[in-house]
Amino acid sequence: MGIAVIGGGVAGITAALDLANSGYKVYLVEKNAELGGKMAELAECQMGLSPYIAKVNNHPNIELMLSSELESLSGSAGNFKLKVSGKTIDAESVVLAPGYDVFDEIPKSYGFGSPDVVPSLDFEGILKGATVSDSGGLVRPSDGKPVKKLGFIKCVGSRCVENEICSTACCGYTAKEIWVVKERYPNIDVYVFYMDVRVFGKDVDLVAELKDKYGVHYIRSRTPEVIPEGDALTVKFENVAKGTIDKLELDMVVLAVGLLPSKTLGRLAEITGVKIDNYGYIDTSITSPLETSVPGVFACGTATAPMKVRESVGLASGAALKAAVLSQRTEPIPGQEDRKYIEVGDVPPKIGVFICGCEGAIAQTVDIAAVAERVQGFKGVELVNSETNTMQDAMAAIESGIVDQGLNRIVFAGGSPREYEDVVRNACANAGLNPYLLEFVNLREQCAWVHDKPKATDVAAGLLRMAVERAKYLDEILIERYPVIPKALVIGGGVSGMTAAQGIADAGYEVCLVEKAPELGGGLNEFTELQTGEKASDVLKGLVDKVTSNERIKVYTKAREEDVRGRAGSFKARIVGDGVDDEIEFGACVIATGAKEFVPEGYLGYSKDNKVVTLSEFRKAGKYGAGTIAFVQDMGPTEGVINAKSTSVEVVSSALKVKEKNQDANVFVLYQETRTYGKWEAIYKEAREKGVLFLRYDSKKPPVFSSGILSVFDTIFNDDVQIKPDQVVLSTPMVPADENERLSTMFNIPLRKGFFMEAQERPKMVLTPVDTINEGVFICGSAVYPAMIDECIAMSTAAASRANVLLAKNFLETPAVTSVVDELICAGCGVCVDMCPVDALELTDEPVPVVTFGVATVVSGVKRVAKTGDGCIGCGSCASYCPSGAMSLKYFKDKQVYAQLDFV
Amino acid sequence: MIKTWELDPGFKYEIMKEPGGEHLTSCYQCSTCTIGCPITELVPSYNPRKIIQMSLLGMREEVLSNPDLWICLICQTCTARCPQDVGISDLLSAIRRIAEKDEEAGKLKIESPRPLFDTAFLHTVEKYGRLYDIGLAMEYYPKREGSFIAGQKAMMKDYKDFGMRMFFKGKMGPLGGHGLLKGVLPSKIKNKDVMKKIFKWAEEKEK
Amino acid sequence: MSVTKLAYYPGCPSEATALEQHISTEAVFEKLGVELVEVEDWNCCGAAEAENPMLVYALNARNLAIAERASLDIMTPCSICYYNLARTAKALKEDEKLNAEIKGIDSTLEYNGTITAKHVLDVLANDVGLDELKSKIVKKVNIKVAPYYGCYISRPPGTAYDDPDDPVSMDQLIELIGGEVVPFSQMKTLCCGGPLMMTRADIAYDMARKILDTAKSAGADCVALACPLCGMMLDAKQADIEKALNIKIEMPVIYITQLLGLALGIDAKKLGLEKNVVDTKELLGKVV
Repeated sequence: MGIAVIGGGVAGITAALDLANSGYKVYLVEKNAELGGKMAELAECQMGLSPYIAKVNNHPNIELMLSSELESLSGSAGNFKLKVSGKTIDAESVVLAPGYDVFDEIPKSYGFGSPDVVPSLDFEGILKGATVSDSGGLVRPSDGKPVKKLGFIKCVGSRCVENEICSTACCGYTAKEIWVVKERYPNIDVYVFYMDVRVFGKDVDLVAELKDKYGVHYIRSRTPEVIPEGDALTVKFENVAKGTIDKLELDMVVLAVGLLPSKTLGRLAEITGVKIDNYGYIDTSITSPLETSVPGVFACGTATAPMKVRESVGLASGAALKAAVLSQRTEPIPGQEDRKYIEVGDVPPKIGVFICGCEGAIAQTVDIAAVAERVQGFKGVELVNSETNTMQDAMAAIESGIVDQGLNRIVFAGGSPREYEDVVRNACANAGLNPYLLEFVNLREQCAWVHDKPKATDVAAGLLRMAVERAKYLDEILIERYPVIPKALVIGGGVSGMTAAQGIADAGYEVCLVEKAPELGGGLNEFTELQTGEKASDVLKGLVDKVTSNERIKVYTKAREEDVRGRAGSFKARIVGDGVDDEIEFGACVIATGAKEFVPEGYLGYSKDNKVVTLSEFRKAGKYGAGTIAFVQDMGPTEGVINAKSTSVEVVSSALKVKEKNQDANVFVLYQETRTYGKWEAIYKEAREKGVLFLRYDSKKPPVFSSGILSVFDTIFNDDVQIKPDQVVLSTPMVPADENERLSTMFNIPLRKGFFMEAQERPKMVLTPVDTINEGVFICGSAVYPAMIDECIAMSTAAASRANVLLAKNFLETPAVTSVVDELICAGCGVCVDMCPVDALELTDEPVPVVTFGVATVVSGVKRVAKTGDGCIGCGSCASYCPSGAMSLKYFKDKQVYAQLDFV
Repeated sequence: MIKTWELDPGFKYEIMKEPGGEHLTSCYQCSTCTIGCPITELVPSYNPRKIIQMSLLGMREEVLSNPDLWICLICQTCTARCPQDVGISDLLSAIRRIAEKDEEAGKLKIESPRPLFDTAFLHTVEKYGRLYDIGLAMEYYPKREGSFIAGQKAMMKDYKDFGMRMFFKGKMGPLGGHGLLKGVLPSKIKNKDVMKKIFKWAEEKEK
Repeated sequence: MSVTKLAYYPGCPSEATALEQHISTEAVFEKLGVELVEVEDWNCCGAAEAENPMLVYALNARNLAIAERASLDIMTPCSICYYNLARTAKALKEDEKLNAEIKGIDSTLEYNGTITAKHVLDVLANDVGLDELKSKIVKKVNIKVAPYYGCYISRPPGTAYDDPDDPVSMDQLIELIGGEVVPFSQMKTLCCGGPLMMTRADIAYDMARKILDTAKSAGADCVALACPLCGMMLDAKQADIEKALNIKIEMPVIYITQLLGLALGIDAKKLGLEKNVVDTKELLGKVV
């Protein structure tokens, strides 16, 4: 048995790894010959995905089935039989991650066939191809002339007759593409033609930066034509401020094409029996975003709705957890097995040098064969292997080198250690060699990509010389293990907290759920119904009942957590509340503290004029009879708040509700951007059709409400519009929960504008939406980013999945690269203790065999020396500051560093 | 400065009841229609998007008396490109018909000669079942110019060269066409009564 | 070839201003062996002047009904007649209430949706088909052509049968007969100004001029058309445009059926080539 994951794009890969890493057998089915899906075609993204693909390729629990397709599915949850390209698989559950397709019926009016009008996915290919340095700049595909003016046209194939919904990702991916362009080619003038800028989370700051810092021109006009005239492309747009149709001559135009349901979904639905919704996506519900209509079959990523990578990955982790709960753990978790390392000790170093081509990235400027020849001549080098081109082959070669040829030092030259070092360490460990007898050389970013031929070859040889010399001095580092406590702490008892707690409990662990209010429910308590009509109290009751009746979950209300200590797998804390003071221990923690509504004191007369209410007050009052009502979106301070992803959805659905209850009501919505993303675009259309009037204003000229008249400068109409409303409803931004500052300090995880920050590996990509930089601490829900309830539920299930991956382990390894004190030399001066950024050092009295005071030496006694504690992160500050040389950093001992420097 | 309480919020529903105007409120003001419209190159103030927005706000008088309503080419470029299927060409046509109704009721004076032309055209169709060019001109020009003489003068001015060309090419006039006096006399259909019925029914539907 | 007999709706301009389109259409279809039966006692479709859609539906229900009684699809050479007939057919098929109401006006207006309306260019390019045409071509028409489609062949989406920005049906026919299509994509469907000819000649002239100028600078020997209203603007009114704007154009304008007719070996007189206002004699020299 096992779990079948259909689709090997970023979502499939994420789900597969989460499952494989927690001890499940995974069949990963991909129809193409390679993993990666659409993401592998994207600039700046493909590189981030490669290490994950390497992990999948090297994972013992994943059976990778490439060039394979699902042919049939029968059975039921817990007992499915799949036929994949002729082969039969038994699986307890299935995760569908077939991805999406790109809109390709581009009207000919965009360029009339000119090669300089490029759909975004093709543009990503152009940017990707230009990754290696000195390609000259961005040039026109037609004649190779440099691009000086670049245009982006958004909403091609979204929010239109051919594809009614908003593709959600385009505004974000366009911003990313522009950022890449501006970073690499700062002199290119960029123009963006748009209707609304629908960016969320970090992308909001990115767009602000693009406009202010990078000088990108955002022009509000949906332009339908790109006319090739001579050797330029003419784009017309409406200059609403001037009331004219203006023209721009550009060199190249990128069309931000929309996302469509994958063409495979029809067949997939036939085979699996899952229901497809009106838009062609796999049907899921707002309170159950991962479950399909077939029990045991889960869906994630862009197969359910158009979305960005961050959300795809979140849903994938969530789906993995759902699938895991139905399945049995049958596989060992890699790294958990008893590892016996060969004793290297005083054995002379036998160095094996493995140069991996990194799929051609290095060979672009480095003559690998020449480098290999030179390396062969270095003293101590027993073997040089430069034949491998993929990680899989390289790892196999390393393992065989260690086992068959007795290599006891490995120098690996390839891509970035940040991405691949743990894969290579794992290979060494698998073969029985202490993983810290490995020296990793980055021949990509530190050589091939920054030097031209032939210099790159010399540099490569030089780097390898340094590495070989250093390798001679590498010694084994003792790796210690400590047990993982199979329990979790969930902070926050709202929808997200309850969902995370439920997920972790379902996976088999005990959970402590701590909520500061007297009852569970959090933000959902403020709703009477969801935007899709379900009664909020029903949804809430369902969640609360499940949690309170679950034997594994202990709920604390009116309580808070304090005094958190420890590290991933082994935390301790105190739960303090009404007559409660419990000491608990747990292996993982999920923070789901939610967010608060900003109180718009003073905005448009709020709290002074009783005509002005907030959206939640309006919803709670439930009175929809007003004659004239104005909803105002996007008003608020510029600092300290963030706009929820759900804002427009909530405003528009309320406006629609007013019209439904009272057809003759005059309903206005004053907005800066409409952000009814994805399938929510339908309610925006419905609201307009029913006669809701949308008036657009600019942040620099917000609406004013005085003497009963609401005045707004409508930027599209280019005039002031005045309304005499019976009610003004303010939709306000969100502020972080009060606890966040305290929790941030306690758990050592950073905040951004008061909301928790995810660990982020690459600047413009989120492959770890619920992980933080502190291993074992996860974040989800509105505490990270206030979103719609379905996204919160998916992300909190993802947090549960990530916790599961950790808690499934029996033990974790203590960090190997830590500082170590030579007590004989240490004078107990305490400089290191002051230097340590994480307070991991302390001075203690230790018994030492020999104590030296100045010139006198005393045999045995107790000495005040520094001691490295559990929190050491291996930064080396102490070792570099230590005046006596008593402090050193394992793996970076002086001898090892000097060896490298001697051969620079 | 637009004071919405002085406007007619029911105007948009009035337009939506008119055949062709059903999708007025689908508009999300993207400017696609205006940018693609060939008239905007020649008449820079022409802006169908703005006409739609004014209609949505309820600026009934401004919209119906807007002379730009009458220079639409009904080329359907806007209709073909509109991402929300508003059907702008038909929408403007619906608004024109409301303007004509207002003119009939004495509430408005339309500056453009287009409604006169359309009416004259349709009068010949109603009478003969097919277009009678000369009949059309005989009604249109006098009405446009205000008197019969002025009308004849204007007609001569417009048609002189063109008419001569058609005559010499044998397409209109006594010597050419499909038969004697083709183009000079109306081409009539046999079942003229049905025309009357059709026009009567259509007129009733307008109300 | 799937079509052998069609009901033929000439449209009001056929009898006079677009006489050459009418006779060349008849000649071409005769040569192709397709029988054309004129829609008996057909009435005007309402053109652009019947702004009330109900009037258009009622007028054209009669024409469709007549053809339906003969069990024949309607073919028309005029783009706007095609638009009106086709949208009426669609509306009456989809809206039962409307259909019943219109039947109630007069019994001769009963249309049951069993026949459809098509444009001449559509029939030639798609129903007769390029292969069939190729087999009947006997002469090479070696000229450079700017194919001008106008508005109602590829718009609006409900009745269009070709791409709205860059249609190709005429291009295909031109290439088939040995002609060369000049770069003309952006002008193919730009309105000729016809509907405003009588009320805002200034605007109409500017629009027509753009098309003719582009054809000229692209090196075209002539502009090919498929709509008589466009023919009125670009051909019959060309001299007026030249006079009003003080320019020289001298661009022959000919109907696609005339061009096709030449390639099919039909005599120039039978195609009405002497009736096109701007002289076409030079073109005839290029027929091989």
